[in-house]
Amino acid sequence: MRYPQRTGRLYVPRRKARLATAAVLVATTLAACGGGQDGGAEAGAPKAPATIPELTKDPLTLSFIWFDWPPAHALEDFANAEYAKERSNVTVKVNTVPNANWHDAMFTQFAARKTDFDIPILDSQHIGEAVTNGNILDITDFVQKNIDVKAYNPYLLAAYGQFPQAETGKRDENAKLYGLPLLGDTWTMIYRKDLIGDKPPQTWDEMISVAEKCQADNPGVSGLAFHQANGSDAAAVTYNTVNGVYGGNLWDPKTRKIDGVLNDAAGQEAMEVLVNKMKPLTAKGSGNWFIDEVNAAVAQGKACIAFNWIAASGGLLDPKQSTLGTTREQILDKLGFATLPSQKTNLVPLGGMGMHVSAYSAKANQAEALNFMKWFERPDIQKKWAAAGGVPARTDALESPEFLNAGPFNKVYADSVPRMRDMWNVPEYARLVDIENTNVNAALNGAKQPKAALDDIAREQQGVLDSSGRKGGGGL
Amino acid sequence: MAVSVGEAVSAGPAGDRTPPARRFGGRGRSVLEVVLLAVLAVVMLFPALWMIETSIKENRDVYAIPAKFFDFTVTMDHFRDVFVASGGTRSALSVSFLNSVVVAGVSTVLATVLGVPAAWAYSRFAVRAKKDQLFFILSTRFMPPVVVVIPIFLMYRQVGLIDTKLGLILIYAAFNVPFTIWMMKGFVDEVPAEYEDAAMLDGYTRLQAFWKFTLPLLLPGIAATAVFALIFSWNEFVFAIFLTSSDTVRTAPPAIAGLIGGTTVDWGLVAAASVVFALPVLVFAYLVRRHLVAGVTLGAVRR
Amino acid sequence: MSDPVPSVIDHPGRAASAAPPAPGRSSRLSDRLLAVAFTSPALLLLLAMSVFPLLWALYLSFTDYSATRGGPAAFVGLENYTAILTSAQVRLRALTTLIYVVGAVALQTVLGFSIAYLISRRTHGRGLLTTLFLVPMMLSPVVVGLFWRFMLDAQFGVINSMLGSLGLGQVEWLTRQRTALISLIVVDTWQWTPFIMLIALAGLTAVPKYLYEAASIDRASEWFRFRTITLPLVWPLLLIAVLFRAIEAFRLFDLVYILTSGGPGVSTETLSFHVYKVAFLGFNTGTASAYGILMVVIVIVLTQLYLRYLNKLKED
Repeated sequence: MRYPQRTGRLYVPRRKARLATAAVLVATTLAACGGGQDGGAEAGAPKAPATIPELTKDPLTLSFIWFDWPPAHALEDFANAEYAKERSNVTVKVNTVPNANWHDAMFTQFAARKTDFDIPILDSQHIGEAVTNGNILDITDFVQKNIDVKAYNPYLLAAYGQFPQAETGKRDENAKLYGLPLLGDTWTMIYRKDLIGDKPPQTWDEMISVAEKCQADNPGVSGLAFHQANGSDAAAVTYNTVNGVYGGNLWDPKTRKIDGVLNDAAGQEAMEVLVNKMKPLTAKGSGNWFIDEVNAAVAQGKACIAFNWIAASGGLLDPKQSTLGTTREQILDKLGFATLPSQKTNLVPLGGMGMHVSAYSAKANQAEALNFMKWFERPDIQKKWAAAGGVPARTDALESPEFLNAGPFNKVYADSVPRMRDMWNVPEYARLVDIENTNVNAALNGAKQPKAALDDIAREQQGVLDSSGRKGGGGL
Repeated sequence: MAVSVGEAVSAGPAGDRTPPARRFGGRGRSVLEVVLLAVLAVVMLFPALWMIETSIKENRDVYAIPAKFFDFTVTMDHFRDVFVASGGTRSALSVSFLNSVVVAGVSTVLATVLGVPAAWAYSRFAVRAKKDQLFFILSTRFMPPVVVVIPIFLMYRQVGLIDTKLGLILIYAAFNVPFTIWMMKGFVDEVPAEYEDAAMLDGYTRLQAFWKFTLPLLLPGIAATAVFALIFSWNEFVFAIFLTSSDTVRTAPPAIAGLIGGTTVDWGLVAAASVVFALPVLVFAYLVRRHLVAGVTLGAVRR
Repeated sequence: MSDPVPSVIDHPGRAASAAPPAPGRSSRLSDRLLAVAFTSPALLLLLAMSVFPLLWALYLSFTDYSATRGGPAAFVGLENYTAILTSAQVRLRALTTLIYVVGAVALQTVLGFSIAYLISRRTHGRGLLTTLFLVPMMLSPVVVGLFWRFMLDAQFGVINSMLGSLGLGQVEWLTRQRTALISLIVVDTWQWTPFIMLIALAGLTAVPKYLYEAASIDRASEWFRFRTITLPLVWPLLLIAVLFRAIEAFRLFDLVYILTSGGPGVSTETLSFHVYKVAFLGFNTGTASAYGILMVVIVIVLTQLYLRYLNKLKED
């Protein structure tokens, strides 16, 4: 024993002193907090100027934030090559974060009232949260003055910029705009031409029976592959898609009612189809699959029919990642891309993202950001963006040969535009989607009965929407 | 008291405990034990070996079913990709490795500079409420990082430390100081106070005695302690992912985590990055193997 | 090494007597100054980075503050705490955490001790063996989580591939309620068994051999010797190791985040992971702070009780 015994009791009186110190600390803390919570008190978003202020001639870095995927790198390369032609003093930097961390990374910086990005690329459903907290600029006047709104499908403008949310398929011309489209996206059906034939199934039921037959005929290949993970918005988008196709509704935006709407007869049927008809046709253990796993299954020749985001499908044509062929042409002989089958409706999920202007970046950067957005939405630039692998939003660019020839799935996107439906765009989005994700994922993996899962989603989501007036315990 | 692991694991005096076993199971039992140990070793090491193997496979073979254990083409491409981006420039991963070096290095230095003198003072002087102070210091390490990150975030927001290397350095230093104090106090306790007393009789001040006589004797201990602090900061993930977001600040753990969740997962690259990232830690751990027990228990268990 | 019980953790104050008798008044004064000067920078850093944030969180836990919504924080009294303590969602996570902590710590204790025991009985190659066994512990949780996710993948993972070769079929490691939690326990066990092994090994090699010699004269059975000599001497050290592991396991976040992200459904969501969701999905900072404070309180209270039990054990 190295330490001879000595009790610590000798120092008891000292404890009082320490308590006093602690009390002082608490007091300081309170003072510090009191001082720290102003600033965000004003409701709503600050306004961007209608005309672009004079731009700086000094070197400037225009920063974006996005998650790490090929379009992010494509955007950085494209912008540095093309935008620099007009603004040689500007460098474009697209910061990327892990997909799972995307929402957190943007909104923690918003919460810090200081962002290292000028243009956040928000998911369309994030707009509500950002606008309500005053994190992004109101660009209504700017758009009115600088953007030809007639050149777009109105719903695309609304989905990536308008808040409060527009009715599906429409734009409210009196509503405010907070963003402009950057990258359009939707699901495509990827099917094996060599296994199920050149003609894609037209209805959802037909699609399921084709997949069933394909799976039975081809041992080792599963009928379907789609997103089932409980992270991001994976399983939620899957359910929402089936829900739309089977005539269901996610909510009634006017009355803010979810319980009783989402889990009505159509909603229940959609959940039945998803869990009892589609899930049995997927690979064993695919219950945590998202974009990359579905791609891997297709590239490894393990799926007859798969669903994935168009913007994430480019890698499928890369022979280095694929066992379907050694050239792009060989792969395309086997893979077909089609719009989603329809059933009671022909709705497809709206994906993609818009660009916005951070309320916390420097004035010069905000001006540059507005200038970039105006530049980006020009017809010629939209076509170049299409040729560079991006998905434009302007109708003329969508119909241009530059876009339609750039990828086998681009026609799918162009055809899908009038069919799109988005999720709820409300400040509570992150929690709503988490509730849906975890419950759909639970139903898909046998942790919950389909009906119970759907009822839980409706009840919990309704609880989140209704909880604004409640005191304490929010977020549980 | 100061039995190091090196001693503990050497074939030292405990070796003569084996012979009596022969009386019971004899050779058969000894063989059984060796087999059991070998099986356990294979199970424990397999994931690490599989990681190394994946890092030198072509992506086509990575997904092969049944898994290819031997017959695959060896490629070093993934290791190149760790450091070089497709355009021939430095990859974002290599930048994050560099950030990790800076953040882990500086925070370790800071923790050492603050912790070693404190450990010396706690060992040598009758500091008031020492027991309480020391337990308080240790208990700051018990807090779940996910919980601490919320107030730290709010605090950093006020002072502009979010998404800065300095912010990470400070929080890592704060997490390493308790550990440094506890582990170093053990080393200081082992250096007899009489050395300093003798020096002071020779006319040195207490501070000079510490600086000239005690500190040199502590250097090996400081090195061991610093390595453990370094390993902690090097591997840390929770603070890194919530307090940083830009490429220029992000450390390696969140950068490696970011390799999945795009559109395709390059498992070869993930494996190669993991191997490169783990190498320094394994080397350091080997260097301080004599102090492993103290190192992994915040010095609370000393051998 | 006659006493393998860690003598530091329970009596940190004892070393006080190591201070030499102060020769004179002025010297004692300068000693005190020196002590203050040497300890205060470290304590200040801890106050600023650990205590201050915690007190801040304590204050926020009584409010409905949200980090993104801004605006002044309104006091809600104990509402956050009652909401958490009565929430079925929290109880579910507490149960998951409990199963995980107990399962993982028990498994790694048994395995770690067994490996240590086997190694301690070998004459050759013990250094090499120990070093090899330690590799998992040194890896970052991120690397461990990512790589196990890859290995446990039901379709492409090497584990199922090997099971398939043996004709055992595929197991859905990460997508079934039970197996997902078991997988989490297995991965944590893989990473942290070496920790228990290391400490157990230190205890085992320190058992004085004369005790064994005495026992072998008595012709005591091996099991008897193990039970009466080895185990009692290693036990206290093992209990300390268990304490450290339990604290770590209770705080587990990164492995869940990467391996299962809480799925399927919420069946592998631990308390830490739930706090994260409350704090960052809805930015309910007040609730999350209360949640965190409760977790810290649980850790500190349980640790104190456990240490008290350890000390009692030592005195007996």
